[in-house]
Amino acid sequence: QPRRSIRPMPRPRAKPGPRYKTAPLTSFDAHPTLLLLLSVLPPRPPPPPPTHPHRAGLSPLSRLPHGLRRRFRRLLRQRPVKTINANSVSFSAPRKDNVSFRLQPVPQRFSVRCAAKKETVEKVCDIVKSQLALADDTVVSGSSTFADLGADSLDTVEIVMGLEEAFGISVEESSAQTIATVEDAANLIDSLVAN
Amino acid sequence: AAAADFTLLDSPLPARRRRPQPLPDAPLPRICTAGELPALREVHVWYLCPDELNNQSQLNMYEELLSPSEREYADSMKATMLRKDVVLSRALLRTTLSRYTGCKIDPRSFEFKKNKFGKPEVLWPLDDSTAEQPLHFNISHTTSLIACGIAINAHIGIDVEEKKRNTTKNILSLARRYFTPSEVDSLAEISDSDAQRKEFLKLWTLKEAYVKALGMGFSGAPFSTFSIMLETSKGIRISKTSNASRPGYDHLSENWLFTLAELNSSHYMSVCIEDSSRSQGPEDSPAPVGLKVWKTVPFVEDTLVSGTEAVKLIA
Repeated sequence: QPRRSIRPMPRPRAKPGPRYKTAPLTSFDAHPTLLLLLSVLPPRPPPPPPTHPHRAGLSPLSRLPHGLRRRFRRLLRQRPVKTINANSVSFSAPRKDNVSFRLQPVPQRFSVRCAAKKETVEKVCDIVKSQLALADDTVVSGSSTFADLGADSLDTVEIVMGLEEAFGISVEESSAQTIATVEDAANLIDSLVAN
Repeated sequence: AAAADFTLLDSPLPARRRRPQPLPDAPLPRICTAGELPALREVHVWYLCPDELNNQSQLNMYEELLSPSEREYADSMKATMLRKDVVLSRALLRTTLSRYTGCKIDPRSFEFKKNKFGKPEVLWPLDDSTAEQPLHFNISHTTSLIACGIAINAHIGIDVEEKKRNTTKNILSLARRYFTPSEVDSLAEISDSDAQRKEFLKLWTLKEAYVKALGMGFSGAPFSTFSIMLETSKGIRISKTSNASRPGYDHLSENWLFTLAELNSSHYMSVCIEDSSRSQGPEDSPAPVGLKVWKTVPFVEDTLVSGTEAVKLIA
């Protein structure tokens, strides 16, 4: 059945100065769809908060005081990590033994810093769009979550299978379970392809 | 918000209730019909159809039942249809749970916790007498139907899928990637592609229901570690495969009961509950799972549909 097109999320809080490179705003910038296209990284909608007081599932970096967090981010930004070794400490590659990471997707800002290749993200977006039969004008970006796009479990496994075929990789169920956004999928693909 | 106006009805749920429809502008009265608790090995399923619920004042009332975090989650949904689905599923869950507490607990007061794999459970207040008979629930959505299953003292998983759902990938290649060899063989034997697709969907919903009942996520019980057989003399059976003897899958158990039904000739519904009965002798075949199904418009109308054409037991 035809999928419904997605209403773009309104732009959230304004930050001083651009964090990411954005295309110069044109007279189209009033158009909500393009606003979404132009912003590389709209803040992720808050995940359903865990009732565990320990904020289980968030990266340990998010428990650091704000100043330290900012310094870490700057550091990561200066040296983008291209390959992710799943055995070393990394904030976007999920570790099998660390159950708390499996509950919720890694905070978006860290996934982007260990940047997935742009081509990977685009390819994943295409595969997702075709699997879910989304309307052409639907915007699918790195930060789109599969839940937001209306993918259920059967859609998700078909997407994973499509990604396996397109990239020549094999995705284990434990890794697949950690994927919540397109960016997560792209990160995982990059790490599997690199290995 | 105005205080809830509950009318407690002690009689067991009759087959059909209809309330006079109020004027569109008037606030809907909040009526809760208490339900009898499910028996052992019995599952109660309450479902609603989002496409039929378009009364905005009704939807606003459902939204009022949500906790702030649930409302935030609903607001985070970019698509209006998905947002409506989130609101409806939470409202369905809360109103259904409220029924089984004799309407003593307001739908808004339920709190939930997640187990370490993310499966939600009710967080019962410590002094509540209903905690002695723990209610277990599970929810499943499709775009056209949201179902909530309830069981007593048994973990439950439920999955619903549209009968006419098509896959983009070829059925057998999906099965080869995710299912077990014996399941692939049984699917390959079916020559008619439509029948094969339907069989795949039945197996899919059964496997999903098992994984959801176990509550350990997709990776806790990968589909390739257990086989479901539909046509045995003892009904639907599950067995672990050799894959499951790898370390890490010790928690996979086979003492689960399944039931598969066709809803409104449009959906397949699978329910899986823990088999906590003592009689596990080799001669005993497990008694079939009792199934009662209601179609509900919360606060407005409940219709018992099991025992009618709307619910056809497949196995």
